[in-house]
Amino acid sequence: MAPGEKIKAKIKKNLPVRGPQAPTIRELMRWYCLKTNTHGCRRIVVSRGRLRRLLWIAFTLTAVALIFWQCALLVLSFYTVSVSIKIHFQKLDFPAVTICNINPYKYSAVKPLLADLEQETKAALKTLYGFSEIKSRKRREAQPWSSAWEGPQPKFLHLIPLMVFDESETSKATDFLTGQKRKVSGSIIHKAADVMHVQESKEVVGFQLCSNGTSHCAVYTFSSGVNAIQEWYKLHYMNIMAQVPLEKKVNMSYSAEELLVTCFFDGVSCDARNFTLFHHPMYGNCYTFNNKENETHSTSMGGSEYGLQVILYINEEEYNPFLVSSTGAKVIVHRQDEYPFIEDVGTEIETAMATSIGMHLTESFKLGEPYSQCTEDGSDVPIDNIYNAAYSLQICLHSCFQTKMVERCGCAQYSQPLPPAANYCNYQQHPNWMYCYYELHKAFVQEKLGCQSVCREACSFKEWTLTTSLAQWPSVVSEEWLLRVLTWDQGQQIKKKLNKTDLAKLLIFYKDLNQRSIMESPANSVEMLLSNFGGQLGLWMSCSIVCIIEIIEVFFIDSLSIIARQQWQRAKKWWSQRQAPACPEAPPSLRGQDNPVLDIDDDLPTFTSALRLPPAPEAQVPGTPPPRYNTLRLERAFSNQLTDTQVPAES
Amino acid sequence: MAEETKREVLGLKPKGDLIREAEERPLQRNPAPALALAPAGLMKGDKCEEPGPDPKPAAAPQQPTEEEEALIEFHRSYRDLFQFFCNNTTIHGAIRLVCSQHNRMKTAFWAVLWLCTFGMMYWQFALLFEEYFSYPVSLNINLNSDKLVFPAVTVCTLNPYRYTQMKGDLEELDRITEQTLSDLYKYNSFNTLGSHPRGRRFCSPLPSVLVYSWFPTPVGFQCNQNKSDCFYQTYSSGVDAVREWYRFHYINILSRLPDSFTSLEEDKLGNFIFSCRFNQVSCSQANYSHFHHPIYGNCYTFNGENNSNLWMSSMPGVNNGLSLTLRTEQNDFIPLLSTVTGARVTVHGQDEPAFMDDGGFNLRPGVETSISMRKETLDRLGGNYGDCTYNGSDVPVKNLYHSKYTQQVCIHSCFQESMVKECGCAYIFYPRPEHVEYCDYKKHDSWGYCYYKLQGAFSSDRLGCFTKCLKPCSVTSYKLSAGYSRWPSVTSQDWVFRMLSLQNNYTIKNKRNGVAKLNVFFKELNYKTNSESPSVTMVTLLSNLGSQWSLWFGSSVLSVVEMAELIFDLMVITFLMLLRRFRSRYWSPGRGGRGAQEVASTPASSLPSSVCPKLPSLASSLPSPDTSPTLTAPPPAYATLGPCPAPSSLAGASSSVFTLEEP
Repeated sequence: MAPGEKIKAKIKKNLPVRGPQAPTIRELMRWYCLKTNTHGCRRIVVSRGRLRRLLWIAFTLTAVALIFWQCALLVLSFYTVSVSIKIHFQKLDFPAVTICNINPYKYSAVKPLLADLEQETKAALKTLYGFSEIKSRKRREAQPWSSAWEGPQPKFLHLIPLMVFDESETSKATDFLTGQKRKVSGSIIHKAADVMHVQESKEVVGFQLCSNGTSHCAVYTFSSGVNAIQEWYKLHYMNIMAQVPLEKKVNMSYSAEELLVTCFFDGVSCDARNFTLFHHPMYGNCYTFNNKENETHSTSMGGSEYGLQVILYINEEEYNPFLVSSTGAKVIVHRQDEYPFIEDVGTEIETAMATSIGMHLTESFKLGEPYSQCTEDGSDVPIDNIYNAAYSLQICLHSCFQTKMVERCGCAQYSQPLPPAANYCNYQQHPNWMYCYYELHKAFVQEKLGCQSVCREACSFKEWTLTTSLAQWPSVVSEEWLLRVLTWDQGQQIKKKLNKTDLAKLLIFYKDLNQRSIMESPANSVEMLLSNFGGQLGLWMSCSIVCIIEIIEVFFIDSLSIIARQQWQRAKKWWSQRQAPACPEAPPSLRGQDNPVLDIDDDLPTFTSALRLPPAPEAQVPGTPPPRYNTLRLERAFSNQLTDTQVPAES
Repeated sequence: MAEETKREVLGLKPKGDLIREAEERPLQRNPAPALALAPAGLMKGDKCEEPGPDPKPAAAPQQPTEEEEALIEFHRSYRDLFQFFCNNTTIHGAIRLVCSQHNRMKTAFWAVLWLCTFGMMYWQFALLFEEYFSYPVSLNINLNSDKLVFPAVTVCTLNPYRYTQMKGDLEELDRITEQTLSDLYKYNSFNTLGSHPRGRRFCSPLPSVLVYSWFPTPVGFQCNQNKSDCFYQTYSSGVDAVREWYRFHYINILSRLPDSFTSLEEDKLGNFIFSCRFNQVSCSQANYSHFHHPIYGNCYTFNGENNSNLWMSSMPGVNNGLSLTLRTEQNDFIPLLSTVTGARVTVHGQDEPAFMDDGGFNLRPGVETSISMRKETLDRLGGNYGDCTYNGSDVPVKNLYHSKYTQQVCIHSCFQESMVKECGCAYIFYPRPEHVEYCDYKKHDSWGYCYYKLQGAFSSDRLGCFTKCLKPCSVTSYKLSAGYSRWPSVTSQDWVFRMLSLQNNYTIKNKRNGVAKLNVFFKELNYKTNSESPSVTMVTLLSNLGSQWSLWFGSSVLSVVEMAELIFDLMVITFLMLLRRFRSRYWSPGRGGRGAQEVASTPASSLPSSVCPKLPSLASSLPSPDTSPTLTAPPPAYATLGPCPAPSSLAGASSSVFTLEEP
């Protein structure tokens, strides 16, 4: 036994790691408070008087709480950005300018495809409104309208019947093709305004879309017959055009030489070769100026003289009477790698007018994750970009819709690009697509498709703020010679004398060469955060990282070890008590003497458990108390040497 | 044993005191009723000093002394207090300064250092506070993309109409105007440049006295009350003059309309708007409201406040916006009032009134006008950061419009307020306050004069409207840009016109001039939010203060509390000493001698060394018998104190204190 104790003492002496500074948690705390550099703690111990002590405890705890709160605020506001706005004055790259005629295809060229549709539209107009004469300079060969009914069975009206709805009984509809009253089943989406026709409100016109096979039908009514006819026409038009190959469509549309009568850029003449073709499904051939990535033009000066000046030929006679009802061109200013969303953001240009568009460039750069939700190039957005252009929110939304359309309806919508392995909807192959499309569009608008939540904005974008002004052009005095010269110029392209309503002048220019950049930069850096932490810790408690380490050491490691030791002692006591009845011959006094011995040289459980357990059964061997007393004294001397193991001695 | 440990742990070293205290305590009998809670046990016997750095293992629980501890205890003397403070303070420089008095050189050096750092710190503090209290803001620009609420769109006919009630008056006015025109311009044609300005008064049957003064070119009119003080309003163009004059009379006539007079037969949407669609869906009754503007005629607000469910835009583009077909035919309304044809449109927030004058587009007939919008919001910081108002409640102008506060609303209300105050009647273009009637020269014969005077004062801001009306803190604005195209196209106009006229039972006579089309849509759903945020917040200010404080002083808020405690203790001790001295002098002359002795010794020694005054209160009569046994008990333990002072291997500062008290 004695040798065992000796070994243990030796090990304890040489062990590099000592136990905690105090035997009990209370002592440890006292020791910590007196020794620490953190303000407040010392006062808790040193102060005399319970109230004083209590106050100091309160102050210290308040300081700790304040530190935590303020540091939490600092951390929470870490991901904020600061914005800097810079105005550069520099030579600016001219943006890409896409110009489209509002009318997609020359009516004369596209007419063979649309002849049937046109006939039926006219017939519908006649039946609905008793309107029969269309005086068109071009289409003198138009058949008498009565004959439209004698012709082959109208297929378009049959597919999607135009109906007249009675205001009073909306469930009754008259299919004007057959004249029969038919009961309209399904949900009636009644968009007709009761308001619109307060005078003597009567029928409204609409059409019904049904999905084949099921009885689901949606009825669309319109407050104005013009809208109804145009929508109806557009549906069929898209069906027909979806079947036409792209080359044919390009040929049917306007050529660059035709559209652009004159061109002038930065004081230098330019021509159709500076424009690249871009075919838009709804606007036909569009021409983009300055679209070549490697050779972008730039303006040397601001002002209309140094911008792009073009005169456009808008042949009003070639307009499709039902598809488009306004005359002019559309122009859009965009980045070279951006897709021109003509239908959404184009600016209209009026004929017989000079339209001046002044631009002002603003560039914005946002910070991505984790500062905001924006995306750099769209690669982390789970939507395939079906456009051959740089990512933008618009592109994402359209791509999302188109993808869903292909998924749900089996075909792609005509006005957007084709996703891979899909083709445009037409009712030969997909008889239900229109109903499907309308339903899908409704779901999209109501954000049921989830596109709006998936798509994120782009992190950087350029934006041109446009200011439009108009002037009468050509002026009365210059009209004559100007038109004459232009007619002579365009002799090969246009075989007729130009009229002033066939022309539109467009000027696009930088108002000035100032460029505004809005840049975000992180408002906080890690150094800033740390220095702020340091400030807070210092302000309230004069604490530092070393203090924190100290706290961790004392409050976690040391306290835990003390607790563990106490638990171990308790367990041992319990064990020895359980063992005691097993050997009743052992006198209780002995045990009482025994216990302190066992308690005294107790240490970390890991350390003692290895050493302790073997002697434990030995200790219970009764009947040999005297030698134990010896060890006890030895133990006492031993424990005096050890500074780190102070156990409340029996006083 | 127990005492030893404690001393070791505390590291304190006031010994002489303790001994003296132990000796003197039984002698003190002075009751201190005021401080019954503060018993004498200040320096308990356990405060023995254990100099040896080696801690003794004998760890006795301190419980018994803890129980004796009073609620609050005070030091017996200044010396005690200072010693205690010096030993325990956490203010870095202070220790060196205060606790090293024995060495003048050192003290001076530390005093200089301390003052320097103190000055530096407060200079930095001043800079930091200056920055904070200038309330700097930083601008944040956010680009949000969201589903947007479509703004309210108000479209007006630009055709004010004739009410039947005032037909007679208007006809009379027309007649006079015609006469004036012919008279004036016939006469004017004869007028030569060099002629003197002359005035001619029309004895008009209208109650207001109108004088036309004409000069070679400017034509004007005069609103006059009693011919003594005249106001001349001159115009360079006769057209403007006549229109303005006509307008003035029209306003007067209009103000005679009874209140109960509401909408009239023209309130039919169909007469003005042929078709209306939003987001490919037709509009309904619930989508618009109607009001009549005296100059702009019938106005229809789409998607206004009382729209049952607000329109939302989830996609940008023409097809997802509002599309209207308008009838723009000029009727036989009032030729002198409305000289433009077309329609006027303005875009505004749902809860804002439509100010047709302030913003908007005129729509040309025969043209399709596409107005693309871009939303922008601006959030300012109110309060200390800027003079803006959140809801206008803190603006001293009553909001006459039943709408959200905007600066425009406030300015109009302010003008109307001054108008009512100055002229006694309300201007017809702005809402009137209760119990005030609109201006009419039949009732208020000089209001025109008053109005024009006021107008001048208003525009030169003598009324203070522009200073009174604060900017609203959050503003939503819509940036509009328009594109135009001819509508309908030549090829489609036949059937379009035909259908429109059939549908509305109305023949469009003037074809292209009779119709206009309007599209209002969002250009993009990205909208810019410019918001302000404080660039120095309380948190950063505190952090910076803390950094500076730590850098120069190494102290903390808790150090300040320590200082406060020191001052408090000083005050209490002073008070107690004074009390004691007072008592010892007047109450107990027997002991007074002793007290006087003590007092005498007090000034002799320097302040910290004023050892003598044992706080009499602490040795309160009642507890002292109780405590005395425990206190007298220690002496055997003090025997160990003998070696204590000698080997004190502690900091110089503390030892110096110690040595100081030896003599």
